[in-house]
Amino acid sequence: MLKRCHDFLRLMWALLLIGPFVPVASAAGAELLAYREYLRPDPFGGVVAQDAAPEDLRKGTLNAREGIVVEAPRGGYVSFHLVAKIPQPGPYAFNLEIADRAGKIQADVFREWFHFVDADSHYYPDALIPVALPYRSELPEPDNRIPNQTAQAFWVDVWIPAGATPGVYRGRATLVAGKTRAALPIEVKVLAAVVPPDDAVTLDHNSYGSSWLGDLYPKLRERLGDRFYQSDEFFGLIHAYHRIFYEHRGVYHQLGYGHGGKVGPEFAPALAGSGRGKHIASWSLFDRHYGPLFDGTAFARTRRGPKPIPFVYLPINPEWPASFLWWGEPGYEAEFVNVISEMERHFREKGWTQTYLEMIFNQKKRYKAFPWDGDEVRFAKDNEYYLEYGRLLKKALPPDTPVKFIFRADVSWMMEDQFKTLSGVVKFWVGNSAILSWYPEAPPKLRERGDIVWYYSEAPSVQEVSSAITFNPFKTWLWGVDGYLHWQTVDPGEDPWFHFNGGSVVLAYPGERFGIEGPIPSLRLKIQRNCLQDIALLSSLTRGASADVLKDEAARFYNGTKPVDWWNPRPAMASLPPPEWSDSIFDQADQAHTTAIKNLRPSAWENVREFVFQRASEAK
Amino acid sequence: MRRQQILFSVVLASAMSLPAFGQTPPQGAPSREKLIRDLDEVARVASVMVDGDLCQRIMTERASARLTVVDPKNRWAASDDFDVNHENYIQVKKLLIRLSRLVPYPCDVNLWMPLEKSPGKIQILIRNANEMSQFWTWGALHQDTTPAMREVLESGQRRTVVEKSGMVSVLAPVSNGLGDIVGLVEVVSRVSIDAHENVK
Repeated sequence: MLKRCHDFLRLMWALLLIGPFVPVASAAGAELLAYREYLRPDPFGGVVAQDAAPEDLRKGTLNAREGIVVEAPRGGYVSFHLVAKIPQPGPYAFNLEIADRAGKIQADVFREWFHFVDADSHYYPDALIPVALPYRSELPEPDNRIPNQTAQAFWVDVWIPAGATPGVYRGRATLVAGKTRAALPIEVKVLAAVVPPDDAVTLDHNSYGSSWLGDLYPKLRERLGDRFYQSDEFFGLIHAYHRIFYEHRGVYHQLGYGHGGKVGPEFAPALAGSGRGKHIASWSLFDRHYGPLFDGTAFARTRRGPKPIPFVYLPINPEWPASFLWWGEPGYEAEFVNVISEMERHFREKGWTQTYLEMIFNQKKRYKAFPWDGDEVRFAKDNEYYLEYGRLLKKALPPDTPVKFIFRADVSWMMEDQFKTLSGVVKFWVGNSAILSWYPEAPPKLRERGDIVWYYSEAPSVQEVSSAITFNPFKTWLWGVDGYLHWQTVDPGEDPWFHFNGGSVVLAYPGERFGIEGPIPSLRLKIQRNCLQDIALLSSLTRGASADVLKDEAARFYNGTKPVDWWNPRPAMASLPPPEWSDSIFDQADQAHTTAIKNLRPSAWENVREFVFQRASEAK
Repeated sequence: MRRQQILFSVVLASAMSLPAFGQTPPQGAPSREKLIRDLDEVARVASVMVDGDLCQRIMTERASARLTVVDPKNRWAASDDFDVNHENYIQVKKLLIRLSRLVPYPCDVNLWMPLEKSPGKIQILIRNANEMSQFWTWGALHQDTTPAMREVLESGQRRTVVEKSGMVSVLAPVSNGLGDIVGLVEVVSRVSIDAHENVK
């Protein structure tokens, strides 16, 4: 009852704010523009050039008709841009309301930060700053500091829980600037279909160490001083990064050791002793870090609900838990087996059995600390270490353990060989995208024997077409692999705000400059999440149609391709030892991939989405 | 290898006050003055113990030949092809780890080797577990020889360097059986240990 009163008061406030309803304002006054998610606005009332193909503009401009009409299944989000455009510099107020008597449907609104990219001297929206409504500011936005800015964009996320009642929900967006006012009616059509809570593919976001947290949150670090890395705030930040990716249907990884084997204190239990006497001395920091992630309580207040993280990097490396000093000697085995056995026992006793605990070797010999490559083995002789660690891990674990230790390898040059020679040892493969594209027969074979298969590459920069962020999630599903890894997704570069490097890695920005002690999402992360929702829904429809038919149709709608086009022929050089391969041949061998992405239209995913919603409606 | 380890223990038992060998060094480090004294002593021992002939055989011939190759058609060739002879590498690395444990606080002993075919260039060839160095540009395959390094390579004398805040390095020459100085070790620690540095 109280909630309804509150909603009513908010509605009254909105009416007071805008006065009598006015349709879209004329160009002479304040103007509200609305675009589908794939048309990124610029700060001058236009659309980013990469997204502004005429046909896509026509299709994606939502304010062209009477108002905004969007549709979406339940259990997910529907998103769009609203742009407040005013002809003169000065103050404005923006508001948005969507009426739902049941109080289930919620709108989150974010101000879009326009990043200046030095490379092409253009502005691109990407970081999304949560705002409270009504939002009052002025143009040019004081903190974004864009000369002659005439438009401010807002990203709108409408959350439709699985329990919402299908039907039409109405609302409006309003803009007041000086004496001019504008409003746009909003209509959200909630479909009966429900997006499954679990994803069809895993979208991973990785990072390295935690010192970057001190760099990205300098005020917090200064306030806490030497206590920073052991403070509740520090662990809160780590959990916040897990949460933001989880809320966007993703997974987050943080590697806890360096190429020389140095382990960050919060990534591993503290050890003591040597040889037979080596043991775990303290779980304190480790449990503060991982406890809420392994039991899911770190996600208690999220819309997706509490759930243990599905994957985590272990700190195991050639220098931990056993010292490399004893490599090849009984002491190495003793130290390794002692500590890993203790870890297994600890996890079992705590009930932390839902998470894959990955033994992954990330070191490269080019970084000069170990004689073999753990990451992307290039020399066949290095596989011997994999076999030895496989033996050690097996020895450390009870055969019937419910704790999910898994040996993972990130592979490229040698993958074709390693799939065979490390069969039964490595059970989790993360392959280079281009090289894996030569082996379409590999993923089904690997998955058939129970292995997990992902691939990796970089995120598209903001200078690419907006739909580029959907390319890899879609490819993951088309390829029939389990997941995809974005690399270094928390690194915004030196100055993302005014001299942006394009963001070909970052997908979550530090919120500190906006008074938020935690990450804020990017526009690309939002588009990716919405794509993942659609893939989850599409994948669930395979009950009514074969997966191959759905893939054929979806690829056609996406960019006029067939699933087979997403693979490359195995080049002749693949038969040579990897040290004889060269980059130029390598690039040629990845031609199909690059051609596919070059031909991507801004509305590519929207076309797939329409197909998904249509099939979902037919499936009911 | 075994004989070398026994000799090593005998030499050091008289030279220094040892922590329980094999124990992980406790955290925390002493004053800068004590660091300088301790590390200089480790460096002195290292000059005796590190086998320059063995160090010269760590890299594979192929990797050595390609270390400075710049090929626009194959931009990462030098890095991708970096490779070592495992046994030689491991033998020297284990010795460096032992040397680092002569002090009861975190310390690394890194091996630096000049590039024979590129005068003025040097590479860090073996790093260690605390990932400390005053000289290594993170990720660099090779780099310019610093004046302090050049001095050590030319004079054969140890040299203490205190440039980066809180860090102390002692550079000491490494010689082969011909009496040629073929490399150097960097014995390094810090007054204040940064537990998160280089965990990346």
